[in-house]
Amino acid sequence: MIQKKICMVGAFATGKTSLVARFVRSIYSDVYQTTVGVKIDKKLVNLDSQEVSLILWDLYGEDELQKVRMSYLRGASGYFLVVDGTRRSTFETALALQAKVEQTIGAVPFILVLNKLDLQADWELEEGRSPR
Amino acid sequence: MIGPAIRRAIATALEATLQSLNQALENSLTPQSFAWRLEALQTGKSFAEVVLLRTLLYRVEQVFLIHKETSLLLHHVAAPGVETLDADLVSAMLKAIQDFVCDSFNTSSGDSLDTLRFGELTLWIEQGPQAVLAGVIRGNAPYELRTVFQQAIEKIHQVQGKALADFQGNAAVFEASHADLEDCLRSRYQHKKQGNKAYAWVAMGMLLLALGVFGFFGFRARQRWATYLEQLKAEPGIVVIEAKRGWRKYFITGLRDPLAVDPAQLLQPVGINPQAVVSQWEPYLSFDSELAATRVKDLLKPPATVSLSLDEDGVLRMSGTAPRAWIAEAQQLAQFIPGVTQVEVADLIETEAELESIQRQIENQILQFQEGQTAIAPHQDESLQTLVEQIKRLITIAAALNQTVQVEAIGRANNNGSEAQNLALSQSRADAIVALLVSAGIEPESLTARGIGTRNPLQNQSGISTVEINRSVSFKVSLTDESHSEISNP
Repeated sequence: MIQKKICMVGAFATGKTSLVARFVRSIYSDVYQTTVGVKIDKKLVNLDSQEVSLILWDLYGEDELQKVRMSYLRGASGYFLVVDGTRRSTFETALALQAKVEQTIGAVPFILVLNKLDLQADWELEEGRSPR
Repeated sequence: MIGPAIRRAIATALEATLQSLNQALENSLTPQSFAWRLEALQTGKSFAEVVLLRTLLYRVEQVFLIHKETSLLLHHVAAPGVETLDADLVSAMLKAIQDFVCDSFNTSSGDSLDTLRFGELTLWIEQGPQAVLAGVIRGNAPYELRTVFQQAIEKIHQVQGKALADFQGNAAVFEASHADLEDCLRSRYQHKKQGNKAYAWVAMGMLLLALGVFGFFGFRARQRWATYLEQLKAEPGIVVIEAKRGWRKYFITGLRDPLAVDPAQLLQPVGINPQAVVSQWEPYLSFDSELAATRVKDLLKPPATVSLSLDEDGVLRMSGTAPRAWIAEAQQLAQFIPGVTQVEVADLIETEAELESIQRQIENQILQFQEGQTAIAPHQDESLQTLVEQIKRLITIAAALNQTVQVEAIGRANNNGSEAQNLALSQSRADAIVALLVSAGIEPESLTARGIGTRNPLQNQSGISTVEINRSVSFKVSLTDESHSEISNP
């Protein structure tokens, strides 16, 4: 079985933990995130009839008070960049984080996730429009 | 495949051990085991499990081999019976915590977190260039265990260095490190139970020894006391009424004839301290024949020439010779002596009668001489010998009656020759006989010699001619009472 370390990165309250909770069963409580800044979960996926175990590092959301610990990203095979559609600032934070991650661990694949589809009416981001 | 099978086998074996241990401990009722039982009840664990936990010095419960770069789990082993969470997550979290500590406290880059401690659990992390070994230890692990961990991680790097460097998320190849990790699963239990047992044996041994010594002395004391009582009971004139053994003293009461042996004198020979015996003896008169005989002797004070015997029926027999006065008194007195029922004096001869008889025998003796000779005629040795014995006996008996003896040798001669010659001859003959008697051991003071020549000649006797019979020496005995005047016999 193949194991891969995957990180969840994004601004504060973008829904990283909820995304994880939606897909995996967790053994650690959310308390870890606020204490050590990370919560770890596991997700088994089948890829080309190959079972892959994703070790999900759910990092504490970056805000004015706390920065994401870049050391947690070391060894990651890829990461999710999570953005809250209702807050434009989170997109900017995501871009900044992406640059920082790439600077730290090099160019590894990542997926940008635009979250909170249910609140599309409140989105500050619009289709076809450049963030800048 | 083999790994889980072995683990299951070990688990089964351990379970069996626990069960037997359970049974072994079931009967032990120390306060400690009681406390453990209580704990077992409260925690819902089996008693043996609690015992194992409480006697545990340390046990390595889990070992993780973690890839350093990706913090992914390469391999994981756990001790039998240990509950484990998802090792993949634990491994990652462990790495996260390490990073957290390093970031948070600005440690220098070479440093790494190598020990975490929580209660009785210790987490040891042994760093290698590409992988770390993390061990979860319950209890206090000795420092030597570090060496074991170090050797394990070094070996894994040596053997699987390339696999570690090329690691892309496939941990299957690290199954090969299973034996090395399992080697780290060490444990040690204190064998307090056995130690206690040794003490218990020693204590038991000492107790037995003390009991043995105590028992031996007790037994010996009992034996000695029994021996003493036996001896007392065998002793005439002593009646034991009550004998008790106290804690350190002996108590004895009874009757004792004043003539009986002193009971205290029997204590020392059997090994009893006389100080330890409190005795009370009431005086009484014993009719025991042995004691009665002693009593008879004490009261009658018989002369040395008398022997007494008292039989079991109380018949007192007296034999030998005794002064007439003593015999009369003894006959009177003996009847009143306790233990004497009858007095027999048939064998008792009065000293006075014997004295007279011997005196007569001596005075009837004649020692003969040949014509004109002063030396005793031959073939009279026997007569002379008899005479010596008779005189000695006479002196002894007379002494018992407080009398002294004088024996006079009277020399004679026949009518041949002049009177003066005959007188001298007869004196010489008497002197010769006295000399012979003195040489035979008779005191010279008891003897006198007198020649009477032809005066008062002896008359013819039993076919011996008058001439012959007067060439002789005859004897005359005089007895003198030492206290009174002379009571000589004719």
